[in-house]
Order: sequence, then C-alpha cells, then structure tokens
Amino acid sequence: MSLLAVLGVISSAIYSGTSLLYTTLGEVIDERAGIVNLGLEGVLLVSASLGFAVTKTTGSPYLGILAAVLAGGLMNMVFGYLVITRQANQLASGLAVMFFGYGLSALIGKSFVGAKINPLPRYVLPGLSRLPLVFSSLFKFDFLIFLVVPMAVLIWWLLYRTRWGLGLRAVGENADTAFASGRNPKRIRYQALLVGGLLAGLGAAHLTIAYTMAWSEYMTAGRGFIAVALVIFSNWDPLRAIAGALIFSAAVAFQLLLQSSGAQVSPFLLNTIPYLLTILVLIVWGGNRKQSAPASLGRIYLGSE
Amino acid sequence: MKNKRFVMVSIVVFALVLLAACGPAPTAAPASTAIPPVIATVAPTVAPTVAPTVAPTKIPTCLIVGALYGGPMNDAGYNQAMHESMVAMAKNIPCVKLIEAENVPDEAGAKTTMVNMIQQGAKLIFATASNHQNPAVELAGTNPDVTFEIAGGWLMGANYANYYADVPDSWFAMGVAAGSMTKSNKLGFVGAFPMGWTSTFINSFELGAKSVNPKAQTFVTYTFAWGDHAKEADATNSLINQGVDVITMHVDSPSAVLSTAESRGVYSIGFQDLAAQQFAPKGWITGTGFTLGGTVTFLTQSVIDKTWKPIFLRCKMSDGCMALAPFGPAVPQAVQDKVKQTLADLDSGKIVVFQGPLTDQNGKVKVAAGATLSENDMGSLDWFVPGVVGQAK
Repeated sequence: MSLLAVLGVISSAIYSGTSLLYTTLGEVIDERAGIVNLGLEGVLLVSASLGFAVTKTTGSPYLGILAAVLAGGLMNMVFGYLVITRQANQLASGLAVMFFGYGLSALIGKSFVGAKINPLPRYVLPGLSRLPLVFSSLFKFDFLIFLVVPMAVLIWWLLYRTRWGLGLRAVGENADTAFASGRNPKRIRYQALLVGGLLAGLGAAHLTIAYTMAWSEYMTAGRGFIAVALVIFSNWDPLRAIAGALIFSAAVAFQLLLQSSGAQVSPFLLNTIPYLLTILVLIVWGGNRKQSAPASLGRIYLGSE
Repeated sequence: MKNKRFVMVSIVVFALVLLAACGPAPTAAPASTAIPPVIATVAPTVAPTVAPTVAPTKIPTCLIVGALYGGPMNDAGYNQAMHESMVAMAKNIPCVKLIEAENVPDEAGAKTTMVNMIQQGAKLIFATASNHQNPAVELAGTNPDVTFEIAGGWLMGANYANYYADVPDSWFAMGVAAGSMTKSNKLGFVGAFPMGWTSTFINSFELGAKSVNPKAQTFVTYTFAWGDHAKEADATNSLINQGVDVITMHVDSPSAVLSTAESRGVYSIGFQDLAAQQFAPKGWITGTGFTLGGTVTFLTQSVIDKTWKPIFLRCKMSDGCMALAPFGPAVPQAVQDKVKQTLADLDSGKIVVFQGPLTDQNGKVKVAAGATLSENDMGSLDWFVPGVVGQAK
C-alpha cells in the first residue's frame, strides 16, 4: 500500500464524509430538541434531486445549493407539521416522509438522470499545486468541504453557548419544564427542524452537485439512516459527529482499497466492514459511557396546561 | 434510557434492512450468449423511403409496438441505449406506433405493464431488462397473437424469442485499447456486484489488455449498488490511488465514474451508451454502446410482413449491433487502428476470447485446451484470469 493509497483513504473520507457530516449535524439538532427524524433519507433525496435539477437548468451550482437547502428546510417543515402540530407518531411519520421523498425525488429528477452539470469549483490547498496531478487532485476541495468543520463548531456553540441552544436542549429533555420556564416548545421544535432541514439540504447538495456531479434515483443509498446512526454514535454531540462521519467514510474507502489491492477476502465480506465498525462502536460506547440521549427523545409534546 | 437507545438502534437497523431490500433491481446488461453463426444479417429490409419528415402526413398505423425498460430512458447508460434503438426503429418504419414504459425493474411491474400494452393493441413487445423474461414468456402463452422479443434473453417459443449484441467480444477490444494506452500497466474496473456477466467482462477486458501488453493488470472494486454514485466516485478514486491510469465500469450510469476519472486526470473507457464521453472530454479513450436500432427494425418489419420466426439472435459489432464510440483526443492513430483490427479479427473468428487453455488466478485450469467457455458458464462465472487483482466471489 503506497503513500498515495493511504492519502487517498483520507481524501475519500473527507469527500464523502462532508455530506454525511452536514446531515448528521442537522439530525443532532432535531434530536436535541426531542425529535427523531427518520424521514431524513427522503429529505436528502428531495434536496439532492431539486438541487441537481436547478443546477442543470440555471447552470449555476450556487443556485442549486440554495434550492437544495430550501428544499431540505421545507421537507422538514412538512415533517414538523405532522409530528408537532398534528402530534403524530414520530417514527411512523418519519418513515412516511421517507417514502414520500423517494417518490417525489424520482419525479423531480426524472429528466435529469445522466445529465451533465457545471460542478462546484474546487480549490487546491495552498502549497500543494506544484505536486503531480494525481496527488494535488486528492486535496482539491470545494467551499462546502472547507465550511463543514466550522459549521460543526458553530452548531456546538449554538447548542451549548446560546440561550436559544439552552432552550432547545431543555425542550429535548423535558418540554413541560421548558414551557414552565417561559419557552414555547412547539416553536422551538419547529426552529430545530428548520435548521436541521437546511443542514440536510446542504449535505444533499454536496453529495450530488459537488462530489458525484450526478443524479439517479435513490442515489443517497441509505446515507440518511447512516446519519441517524452517527448521531447515536457521536452521543448527540456536534463535535464528536466530525469524528464519526470521518471514521465511517474512511472505513468505506478503506474496504474499497482492500478489495482492489488483492486481499484474499470476499468483497461481500469487505463491504460489511463500515457497518460492522458502526455496530462495534455502538456496543463499546453504549455500555460504559454516561448517557446523553435527550430524555424526551421521540416523545410527543401534547401541550402544557 | 438504555431502552430508548436500544429501540433507536434497532429501528435504524430495521430501516437499513428495509432499504437494502427495496433498492433498485439490476438493469444492466442481461445475459448475452455465444453466437450461433451468422443468423443475424441485420439487413436493412426497409429501404429508407426518403419521406420528407417536415410535413408529417397522417400515416395509418400498421403495428403497435410496446417497449419496456428497467430504468430511466435518459440514464446515459443501458436503458438509454435500448430506448434509442426503439426510436431508430420508429423512424425507419413510420407507420409503427410506439408505446414505451420506463422504470419497470421488477417482474410483477413488467407483467402489468405488458398486459396494459396488449390492451392498447400492441402486437409486438420488446422487453429489455433481465427481469422481463419470465413475465414475457408467461404472457406469450396466453396471448398467442402477440410477439415478444427479449433483449439478452435466452428462451424461445412459438411467439417469443430474443436478441442481443455480443458483449464479451467488445470488452476484449476495450482491453486492447486500455492495454495500449496505460503507462502504469494498471487498469481499473468499477463493478456493481460480483456477478457472472460482470466477471466475464472483466476477464475479457484483461485478456484483451494482456494480448497487447503482457504486464497489464486489471484492479477490480465493487460498489454493491447499481446507482450509488458517491460510492462509485470513492471506488474510482481508490483505484486511481493505487496507480491505475485507465478506468472502466459496469454500473447503470457511467457518469459519476467518468467525471471522477476526468477530474483526477486519468483515462477512461465507457460502456453501454455512446453518449457517455461528454463526462470525460479529455481522458476519454473510447467505449462501446449498444446500437440495436437495425436489429429492432429488422424484427419489427418481419412482424409486419408476417415473416417473423423465433431466432436466437446475437449480432456482432460488424452487424452494427454495438458501435465503437469515437476515440478521444489523446488516442494515437496506431492504437485506433489496433482496436479496429482487433474488432475485425473478433468478427472473422480469428480471435476467440475465451479459447482454452485458461486458468484462474491460482493457476487452476478452468477452460481446457481446445475448449471454449460456454454461454452458461459466462452467466455464472466466478473466477478471474491471472492478471486480475480482486476477488470474484
């Protein structure tokens, strides 16, 4: 295994980890406010298809990103209406939103399958431009990649260092108490879902407009659920989510590398490595760490008297 | 609290399983089989009656034709190629009325779709995905007045038969192109699943590359999905990072693999549809695509003329069933000539791709001296020839 191969795993982890991290950050906010959004896969698909369609139609990846972000917010508002205003079961509503997203995204993206778009410009890290192209192209990033870690820090700051974040976490722990202290749990939950949806939209935009530059049906291939798993993996902490997204994506890249380096292991087995790793971490961390799941996660807020 | 975490985890696991179960069915290259000699003279039986296309005079419908595809018609891949052959046929025979249905990946949906087409008066149905064969054969029994043609199928009866191009041969020629262009002697192949036909293509590709460059190796990586573009990009990058400088693929839509290869500055070779090269204007070597318009026209015309007979139709590149994509700007004339010569030799039978003796990676004899690989073996092949790096099962 050469230096290039090792650097390649890091590069792939950063590239495919970026969309995963945005999405995970969005779900962290949702869950901190006490809402499990299993519809994330559908939200991602709708954002991705719309973002791609707008990029293709207008020729501008930036407008595409904007459309994807807004679509993510809007999809989460639909979900919010179900689980906050109509007080429907979160898990069932999430799955419904997911299947709705499958259909809607296929419809939106129908005439854009196989289309070629203007991708988001990539910039070589300073000082690396003199390396050969195979090396320098590994670390040629778009602005969404540069922004993702600052975004995680920003989300951490919002959650733990602002009054809004305190209120949001309070609603996630105990909505009645939050209400008693003068906060409006429903409004806060809507706000959390909106921010979460915008972030998911950003993740979808990176996946389709910046990284793969392609759209096809169901192209998120379960990343929405991986993000939900990563939230647990990272203990509902935006900063740990950085590590979670990177480790998971590195595991994917690593098993692809193993496959093609002639390892005497079945590719079927190698393909399960990232998921086995996730399960392993959940087992190890699950038993002996302080629980930090929001106390009323998944619970419907029926209003306070 | 512990319970809650458990519930969450199990829901996520459940959802993932659910998701895996309803992923899109494979629509890529169904079974093609070996070639009974020269059945397919795709004679353009319809002389292009120079009808001025400007003034569309009302032509009475002579035949209603139904066509169904496993995926979207504009995927720059397999389904688009199948769709284009139908469009070519409808243009050649203007009195045909064409009914098309896309995104029909599964058997149940295919059956409903075909029943619907028959109710609309279709007397000829082209079923183009591997999952369409069983329902087509079933409906052929109950609708003796309707003719069924299955792309890549292998079953035949009174009113159903099949047609396809000879795909493994074309991969040998692509191997020749790749083996001539590579500087690192490392070629990369992104596959969707480790399945028989994909392995056959990979072997054919490697044998072609080795015929011009004994040092050429083919590195294989699977994504385990027909359309997971992010993983395709990851897989492509992973291959390039090991020194591969020519990339090719067998997935539904080649766009993500080609775009990634282009952004890394390596060569690429396309497959399934000729429209693919727009994704790699610089690094494009060449590619092959299905051009079954002539075959479909021939079959349709024979139904109109009532001369249709069930034939096991496999046609070669020289018959016009697959076409070589234009060469990219980086390909020298000598290489272009070599690829074209290889295709001519394959057509004339001078080169037989899977001619024994052939061994697998461990040196075990898989095709004995003097024998050739049978069509059944190609469909279920699970070994790689020496020179391929990767596991086939």
